Amino acid sequence: MTFVVIIGLYTTNNLQAKPTIVYTDEDYERLNAVIHHVENVLKYGHIYNEDTKLLPDAINTLTGEPAMWVFPNRAKVPYSNLANQQNFFRTLVALSQVTGSQKYKLEAMASLGEFMLNYQNPNGLMYWGGHRVINLDTLEVQSTESDNGPHELKNMLPFYELMLEVNEEATLKFIKQLWTAHFEWDTADLNRHGSYSTAFNTNVFGQNIIPDIIQFDSDGLPIIPDDSPGKLPFVNSATDLAYAAFTLSDYTGDPAPKIWAEYLMKQYYLASNPNTKMTVYQYKSTLVTKSPQECAIPTYTNSGCGDRVARQFRDFGLIARESNVQWKNTQAIYVDNILMLLEAANKYNIDYFVDWAKDYIEGYLDYTYIRINGKNMIIPMFNDGTVVYGYTTPEAGYYGPSNMRIGYVEMPTTYLLPILRTILSIEENSEKEKLWNYFREITETFGLGDVGPLGGTAPNLNLETAIDDPFAMMTMIELYNDTLVLDYLEVARTIGNNIVKERYHRGFFVESEIMLYSRLDQPETLALLILDGVIRGISSNDMPYYLADSGYIHGYLLADDGVTEDRSYSHRYIYNKTIYDWE
Amino acid sequence: MNRHFIFLLVLFLVGFSLTSCDKGDITTTTTINQSTTTINTGPSESEIYQLLIETEKLSGMSNFNGVLISESLDLGLPTEYKGVIITYSSRNQDIINNQGIVTLPNSCWIESRKQDGITAVPNLNDNWPVVVDVTMEFMGQIRTAKLMFLVAPEIGFSCNKYLG
Repeated sequence: MTFVVIIGLYTTNNLQAKPTIVYTDEDYERLNAVIHHVENVLKYGHIYNEDTKLLPDAINTLTGEPAMWVFPNRAKVPYSNLANQQNFFRTLVALSQVTGSQKYKLEAMASLGEFMLNYQNPNGLMYWGGHRVINLDTLEVQSTESDNGPHELKNMLPFYELMLEVNEEATLKFIKQLWTAHFEWDTADLNRHGSYSTAFNTNVFGQNIIPDIIQFDSDGLPIIPDDSPGKLPFVNSATDLAYAAFTLSDYTGDPAPKIWAEYLMKQYYLASNPNTKMTVYQYKSTLVTKSPQECAIPTYTNSGCGDRVARQFRDFGLIARESNVQWKNTQAIYVDNILMLLEAANKYNIDYFVDWAKDYIEGYLDYTYIRINGKNMIIPMFNDGTVVYGYTTPEAGYYGPSNMRIGYVEMPTTYLLPILRTILSIEENSEKEKLWNYFREITETFGLGDVGPLGGTAPNLNLETAIDDPFAMMTMIELYNDTLVLDYLEVARTIGNNIVKERYHRGFFVESEIMLYSRLDQPETLALLILDGVIRGISSNDMPYYLADSGYIHGYLLADDGVTEDRSYSHRYIYNKTIYDWE
Repeated sequence: MNRHFIFLLVLFLVGFSLTSCDKGDITTTTTINQSTTTINTGPSESEIYQLLIETEKLSGMSNFNGVLISESLDLGLPTEYKGVIITYSSRNQDIINNQGIVTLPNSCWIESRKQDGITAVPNLNDNWPVVVDVTMEFMGQIRTAKLMFLVAPEIGFSCNKYLG
């Protein structure tokens, strides 16, 4: 058996031919679970209101009904928010690829087509994102924030390839207006909130590039301006803007959007700490616009009172700024943004994005990555390396209550992909070595076994791993694609089987057996289909690509006590419900 | 011709055994006798890696993780485990040096005040977190780790360095 494998590897590595893979019953069972999930989502999603092709964001796996947003006035709204369904559209396209049946892709196109035709504001913005939904009872647009909730995308990274195929004009107009509504060309202020009242600008991207926002002090350290009037340039919004602009340039051939996207990403790079290389969540702090009386209340965390970390963590002095925090929102910084940078680097040949990605993730791991009790953890700190571990907050604030002790933060498996993709994007082996060693330590600690020395061609993997995680599975698939070592594929299959066993219940993929809702944006089905495609000989590069699953809704709702009004997120009030919460 | 055949056979067997080790066999030393040829390959890369993992878990380097250290002492950090050389680099050598000797600081970690910048909250953040970077090395192969120590200031410490 070993002999056969050796010959097989010799052959593949030298002739660049992929090994022959037998499609097994277990492979089919995984695909079958995905098909059943998709068919159930389509069936129950369409049954609720047969007058529309729009689908709900999530389905109650006990009743088949859409998830409901319950407003403070007790109005229950079944909601559809297509920004939160992008992975389902990718799943539908991938399912058509592996089955050869176009019906799934046509479903995606029908839903997107209806949406883009009917739910695009005349100014170009779509009615989707953090604060706008479509009420599946009335098919009217509804705001969850106030009467006029803004446009907001944070790492939603729409499936633009499909949108362009469905409605080119609407897609191009949206991408242009995304910048007009969120970005100010003369100051580089970036507002995560965009107004539906902002007029469409025919000269979008026509401005000259302005000087860099970030300047440096005499020590060479970046100066983070605190002149942004309530407009916080969060990297998660910037990631969406940059991704859209790169797509636009690629599609139209106009270089201007790409140049602005590079400018925008450069501000984050310049704001990074030059010594540690750890980067930032935002390149500006907010201007104080509220009165001292209002801001004297610690729990009033409106950004008009200035930088919220500077307020709650002022004991640390000047380093205590929202931009410099390395224990919260790090998924947006070190996962979603890096995946986008690498995607842009590979697609549009922006080599220095790979260098930046390497600097960011390597610096972050150098300073913060620690193993505690056999788990991958992050030491909380600011981006100059100032440790915050063990700090107890004197008062309440944006980051939590008073007397809150800051502890380690668990590193999720989502970090595997940006680390691996960075390594695979670096050309020189000598430049890869350090990051590979981290990758090796992290994968081993996650229970995947040993990927072996640099290159990964001699792994000693845990073929019976208990991990049931789509990010770990995609990591194994990408390692297989790079090395053609069959063990990676076998581990991916094992993880895939675990995912079906642990997360496929009542005909739907859910986070675990007891969770009530199946979210359309979950990444499991797309990951399983990428695996299926690879087994069939379809390169994962030719399939819809995983970039993020950050969809959410934010706004006012009725708290679980049935009385109190709260302002919160769908993940905290809806997708945390179990089957035992359902009456 | 015959000599060529034996040479190729030896090459094949060596390659075969090396690949087998990489696949996780537990043999640490492979010796092949071909009348006059003896080859000792030593532990495989994978076995060394497992030894480095074992070092991190069993050498005792992590004994003080999460423990509040409130006296000056020698942590007794191991510098060798089954041939693995362990070295330490402290990020605050005034408190814990690279040999693991603890010197209690004479000041608090952070002076804390409420958000008004005036009202003191004494003794809230006295204990210092100290990160120590660890390098484990065996036969040129390296694994890194970090240790986190919490160190209390000495009795009678000062706390008058507000940064806010």
